[in-house]
Amino acid sequence: MNSKRRETYLVLIYCFVMALLPASHGQSTEDSQARALLVELVLGDDDSRASTLEELANHGDPIIATFVAGWRGGQVLRDGDDTVLLKIGEQYTDLLTGVATQANPENLKVNRPSRKLRKTLKRMVDLIDLSSPDLGKRIQSAQKLGLSQNPEYLPDLKARAALQTDAKVKRAFNEAVWISELSNGTEAEKLEAIKALGSLKSFPARDFIERCVSAETEPTAELKQASQQALQKIDSHRALIDVIGTLFRGLSLGSVLLLVAYGLAITFGQMGVINMAHGEFIAVGGYTAYMVQNWFGSTYGEGSPLYGYYFLVAIPLAFLAAAVVGAALERGLIRFLYTRPLESLLATWGISMILQQSFRLYFGAANVSVSSPPWLAGSLSVGDFSMSNSRVALIVCVLFVVIGTRLLLTKTHWGLHVRATMQNRQMASCLGVPSGRVNMITFAFGSGLAGLAGAFLSQIGNVGPSMGQTYIVDSFMVVVVGGVGNLLGAAISSMGIGMVDQGLQPILGPVMGKITVLLMIILFLQVKPGGLFPARSRSLDD
Amino acid sequence: MGHYLTSATQLLRLREKCDLGIMALIVAVMIAMPLGNAWFPSESTLHVSGFTLGVWGKYLCYAVLAISLNLLWGYTGLLCLGQCLFFALGGYAFGMYLMLMIGELGSYGSKLPDFMVFLGYEELPIHWRPFYSPIVAIAAAMLVPGLVALIFGTLAFRSRIKGVYFAILTQALTYAAALLFFRNDFTFGGNNGFTDFRFIFGADIRTDATARWLFAASALLLLMVYWLVAWILETKLGKIQRAIRDSENRVRFSGYSTTHFKVFIFVLSAMIAGLAGALYVPQAGIINPSEMWPAKGLDIVVWVAVGGRGTKFGPVIGAIVVNLLKSWTTRAYPESWLIILGALFVVVVLFLPNGLVGWWAQMKSKWNQRASSTPQTDAATA
Amino acid sequence: MVAPVYRDTDLVLSVESATKAFDGFKAINDLTFYLSDGELRTVIGPNGAGKSTFMDLITGRARPDVGKIIYHRSDGHDFDLTSLKEFQINRMGIARKFQTPSIYSKHTVYENLILSLNRDRGVWKALCYQESAEDREEIESVLNQIRLQDRRYELAGSLSHGQKQWLEIGMLLAQKPRILLVDEPAAGMSDEETERTGELLLSLEGKHSVIVVEHDMVFVRQIARQVTVLHQGSVLKEGTFSQIATDPTVQEVYLGRTKHEAE
Repeated sequence: MNSKRRETYLVLIYCFVMALLPASHGQSTEDSQARALLVELVLGDDDSRASTLEELANHGDPIIATFVAGWRGGQVLRDGDDTVLLKIGEQYTDLLTGVATQANPENLKVNRPSRKLRKTLKRMVDLIDLSSPDLGKRIQSAQKLGLSQNPEYLPDLKARAALQTDAKVKRAFNEAVWISELSNGTEAEKLEAIKALGSLKSFPARDFIERCVSAETEPTAELKQASQQALQKIDSHRALIDVIGTLFRGLSLGSVLLLVAYGLAITFGQMGVINMAHGEFIAVGGYTAYMVQNWFGSTYGEGSPLYGYYFLVAIPLAFLAAAVVGAALERGLIRFLYTRPLESLLATWGISMILQQSFRLYFGAANVSVSSPPWLAGSLSVGDFSMSNSRVALIVCVLFVVIGTRLLLTKTHWGLHVRATMQNRQMASCLGVPSGRVNMITFAFGSGLAGLAGAFLSQIGNVGPSMGQTYIVDSFMVVVVGGVGNLLGAAISSMGIGMVDQGLQPILGPVMGKITVLLMIILFLQVKPGGLFPARSRSLDD
Repeated sequence: MGHYLTSATQLLRLREKCDLGIMALIVAVMIAMPLGNAWFPSESTLHVSGFTLGVWGKYLCYAVLAISLNLLWGYTGLLCLGQCLFFALGGYAFGMYLMLMIGELGSYGSKLPDFMVFLGYEELPIHWRPFYSPIVAIAAAMLVPGLVALIFGTLAFRSRIKGVYFAILTQALTYAAALLFFRNDFTFGGNNGFTDFRFIFGADIRTDATARWLFAASALLLLMVYWLVAWILETKLGKIQRAIRDSENRVRFSGYSTTHFKVFIFVLSAMIAGLAGALYVPQAGIINPSEMWPAKGLDIVVWVAVGGRGTKFGPVIGAIVVNLLKSWTTRAYPESWLIILGALFVVVVLFLPNGLVGWWAQMKSKWNQRASSTPQTDAATA
Repeated sequence: MVAPVYRDTDLVLSVESATKAFDGFKAINDLTFYLSDGELRTVIGPNGAGKSTFMDLITGRARPDVGKIIYHRSDGHDFDLTSLKEFQINRMGIARKFQTPSIYSKHTVYENLILSLNRDRGVWKALCYQESAEDREEIESVLNQIRLQDRRYELAGSLSHGQKQWLEIGMLLAQKPRILLVDEPAAGMSDEETERTGELLLSLEGKHSVIVVEHDMVFVRQIARQVTVLHQGSVLKEGTFSQIATDPTVQEVYLGRTKHEAE
């Protein structure tokens, strides 16, 4: 069993190494081939140079661009008959091997390309990225050449478009060809290009199509119609992407609100405690992430691959830290105030001041920076739409929190106790529910969720002593709109508020959008004073 | 239980007697302070500086503000976390007058307030024009907060929003207003608000004489508001108000529209707060949107709670004591004054649920009981 | 559907086919009920029969989904109560006593009654209100009726539970209503207090129309004239106490069970 496992590891490691090897090996051959050709180019005469250039053009090696720039700038020098040096800064390197060398400047002779070659070279440099091994670079270069609408590149673009195998790259090449044709093609080609770009729903082509039609002195009816259709397709696609973008931003803001308000929905909604220090629990989470980051930084170094995983450690620790502070607060203060909800508001406001000032004393008044680990820093794109990884992670996390909380409350013994205590504290304790402990754990859990929220907010916002204050009003609104004591209501209302906020922002701007949302909430409570899911009670005065 | 409550009525009466004593003392101090400024030369130990007068004038405005909140929270059971909004609105209304009185002495030498010149205004916006008149400004300082309270109160009370919900909504309201006032294009000076005032009613705002009569005006306002609230509490309206606090449904089922009563009290309270704000601004020399930030609203609640909610004199004591403590701790412990204040609130909530006034009355009645217990038992046995 | 029993007499209140559902549960289901002038009616029914909701509907605390609730004013005008607010319904002359005593515990007994007097109840009038000799007389007579003359200057919160119940009834009487809705007046009272409460209610017969909702069967026997039995949100039976007590369906749904519970 053991030896077998070891074998498996060995095989895995071997595969890994082998997977890496060919790549590096291949690159180096490509590199040296290009270098050899470049040396040939310098040493050869005009006839051989033409064929060498032809061969070089199909190479996408980055050394070529460096070389051409140097050649034209007088940085390529011949040392003797067959050694060519490239001067980069003050350092000479052997062009053939790429090794840095010492040279006596007196023996060196500057070599420059002939006037005729220069033109060809420029074209080659412009085209060189079209064959870059990096697909992203290849796409970028095709787009750039297409948008320039330079007729010189059109044949090359066309020729290479046919050779592309990757679907994404092929699309970019075709797009570039068609955009170029809008200005350089025949009537028939233009018409085809417009139609094709329309069905491609190409955003960059929009202006070019308009320009193409307006450039014609007498555009044919067919051309006009085709361009109209194409523009319509592009515009409706743009509108769709905008809507998706707004929805995504709304979803992500809603998730932030939900994460922040979910803990509150538990402590305020279920327990009836108005915890003004809830915002400070968020800050506890944020600072925990900051401290874990710093610990990883000092232990493993910021360059270490392990450093990127600090956030995975920070998440549970942020939850725990806030939960511990919450439990202490519940035992030390809040349990004396269950019958006086409005006074719990005052006392926790005092706690909030104490915590804020403690953060300021310990971490400084300025915001601290929490860097995103590389795996959260990038973005994910689907079609024309891209979303940042940290927001996607946030949404996923919120989903987990909502489902997890629901399971905890409905499937566990503790959840049963919580629900019993929240419905009738006295009755539950008469029936043997340890209400003291249940209260403490519930409050700690709600606070822990705030800490969790703080850890995530550290990835998309600032971490500072008053970071909690930014969210506290909003999160109370979420709970009130959802219906106090209703977790599902909180989930729906936070998503609703997030969506409305993001939907209004492009129209009204961020501040007016927020004000409008607040006013809408006030008006909404006119219609449904108890929120989306009002708690019913038969007693007279509550 | 019964015994406890009868002693509670005695307590109430006792408290009123104490109130009278403190009242006389405060009035004496209020008269003495400006006189100390006017009569004694600045070297004298009895001299009260113009600065001190200004600070105490602000505290008196805070006391009025606290009374206005107590009218709502202490006697009607409506916790308003947005009382700072009404205060700030009153302040802004009077501040508009003060800004216009700067005239061409601003740094741009224009008739327009500096921030308007900075933002490229050619002429005064139309809603600013009436504010050359101080009477309009004072009226607006009451009417604007009153109108906001009327609209918001009608909406909130009609749909029976109360308790915690009402508190949170008022907080959201003041938050929304603060965001609005932070905007430059809202024509109220954005972040910086109004400052650098020069003249008030034709007098230089920076002289001791102005400080004296501003202080006197604040003291007068406090006395009048105190008297007004005390009078209202004696009327049937005051009884209904407390009845709403204790059993709103019974009031409703006795044929009263509790909505109308609550809106009335809310508007009245907002107007008082607005007046306090109007007197505060010339003494503070500045008004900006941070005055309506939700934290300020909570501050006022804390003053009332520390002093004693639902007592006539508690809010006055609370506002002055907390602000004195604040100004002392910010100087003595600049690092940790927030921690000290925070701890104070916690202690007050936990151990002094009726505030300082309640605690004092309790102490006093205990002392009285001890003093009178011996002869009473003698009488009972005899 | 129960046939209208009192069609030919002077009615003060008609509830016709009222239905009220909470989350799909029909607390009141197609209920029809008539009350005539000066009548003392007792409403009984097992837990969850819809007695409290029934009172909520009449007093405007809840609105029926379907059906009409008509108040017949003494001058012959009819008013649909379903579109009025609580305080408006109260001003028409319908007063309600709640199950748990609902009084102003931090006001004196006397003040409790002043606030209940049937005067102009607007905001400005409240501000300028001056107590008149007539007001004092009215309060004195109510104090006599509820036997709290000696405790008039005490805080209402310091009264015993039974006295609180009486005070609340007194507050209703001070309003001079045409209809009194009294929800479980004997709850939490001693036997002696219960009997006195019964006498008080009986003395109102003829002067006011009274609906009493009650659980306590001994008490119901004492005060019962006409009895309405509610079951699952609608009227199961109406009749005199002895008719109801011997009715087999009533016994099945109600009496049998409560006897059992009482023991």
